[in-house]
Amino acid sequence: MSFVFYLFLVIIGVLFVVFVPLLRNPKRQADPFPAAAALHDFPGSHVIHFPQIRRALAPMDYEFVSQKIPRNALRRMRRERRQVALDYLSALHAEFDRLLRTARVIAALSPEVAARQELERILLTVKFLSRYRMIRLSLWTGFKPLSQLSNLTNLLSGYSVRLEEAIRALGERAADVAEMVSSPDRRRIHPV
Amino acid sequence: MPEALTFERVLLGTTFLLNGGLVVLLGYRKNYRVFPFFSSYVVLNLLQGIALFEVYRIWTFGSTASILVAWGLQFLVILARAFAVAEICHRVLARYQGVWKLASLLLLVAAAFVSLFAWAFSQGKWRSAILSLDRGVELAIASAIVVLFFFARYYAVDLDPAVSTLAAGFFLYSAFRVLDNTLVEQWLIHSTRLWNLLGTVTFLATLLLWTWALRQAQRPATLELLPQDHYRSLSPAINARLKALNEQLGRFWHAEGRNT
Repeated sequence: MSFVFYLFLVIIGVLFVVFVPLLRNPKRQADPFPAAAALHDFPGSHVIHFPQIRRALAPMDYEFVSQKIPRNALRRMRRERRQVALDYLSALHAEFDRLLRTARVIAALSPEVAARQELERILLTVKFLSRYRMIRLSLWTGFKPLSQLSNLTNLLSGYSVRLEEAIRALGERAADVAEMVSSPDRRRIHPV
Repeated sequence: MPEALTFERVLLGTTFLLNGGLVVLLGYRKNYRVFPFFSSYVVLNLLQGIALFEVYRIWTFGSTASILVAWGLQFLVILARAFAVAEICHRVLARYQGVWKLASLLLLVAAAFVSLFAWAFSQGKWRSAILSLDRGVELAIASAIVVLFFFARYYAVDLDPAVSTLAAGFFLYSAFRVLDNTLVEQWLIHSTRLWNLLGTVTFLATLLLWTWALRQAQRPATLELLPQDHYRSLSPAINARLKALNEQLGRFWHAEGRNT
């Protein structure tokens, strides 16, 4: 067996491995305008809960509590707080996913998309996911992340308000378009 | 080899009948209106079968004249297949104008790159070069279909089951042709009969898939788009927020690193 044969065998194998999961269509076509739901489904940011997380993971807090309660209770408290931090991380991940979905829907429904924006989003996703996994792993293994993020939390909250307003407006527009798409007499409705 | 030849003929006959059946089905369901290039490809395939039958009847199998005509026809069929795949890609993404503009460019670049890559591994002889060219095009088609499905998944594009099945048929056929061509190029350069047999079996399976996909009439798909300014204003804002979330994670990580 030669190198070229193995090379093409591996390439075809990789293509099959990538292709088969892609074949499964995750969504059915019940909704003629599925984007509308994604645009409406945009709850507030989870970053507003960061101060509580910071407090829960602060070493000073642990030191203070360790002098007041027995070791068993302290261990349970650490475990529970770690779980809270993990839940917070999951919420951030969910928020990231929602934003991505919204961005993709907007891109998909736009007459023109910018390659730079799309590429930037892909790179951000790769970065985010790698960091997310590392932090999650560190939390599982018992490290205690600390809190220097209040500025960023404020920044994200600001973004959150502006973006949610814009997306709410877009969602209403999208719903109008959805209604127009399903309307029996499309000529009477002007979506834009 | 009489048994092998008989088996070959039965397979060829079955493939020819199925191909003819698909042409009839395309006409009966009027799917040629929705898939004109795919229909042309299927018709061309049928005509290729008839032409090859006549060529081998007039000239002997393996003669220079028959080889030239056979490869000439094969070139036309490959070209038609490439157009048919482009049509499938267009059918999936063209409704999403912005994504289609981006994807069509990437699909072309990917197809060209993959073709060149496959060509780079060809061997010196001219017959091998034709096989390599065929392999390059088939690999490009298979890769383009994977990229297409990736785009569809990434942008949550609704995939019509019929179009998915057609694309899956093209993918399977192209993938097996790549392996078939590589196998023959490497060891069995003189065994064109085996190459033909493997190609026929693959095509037969693909025809079954396509017939299943087009058993019902297909409708042209349409979609209303949002105004361009929505993307221009919201996409950078969302990217900025994604970036901020990313930075938050980054600081989370660095803060932890410094203090543990």
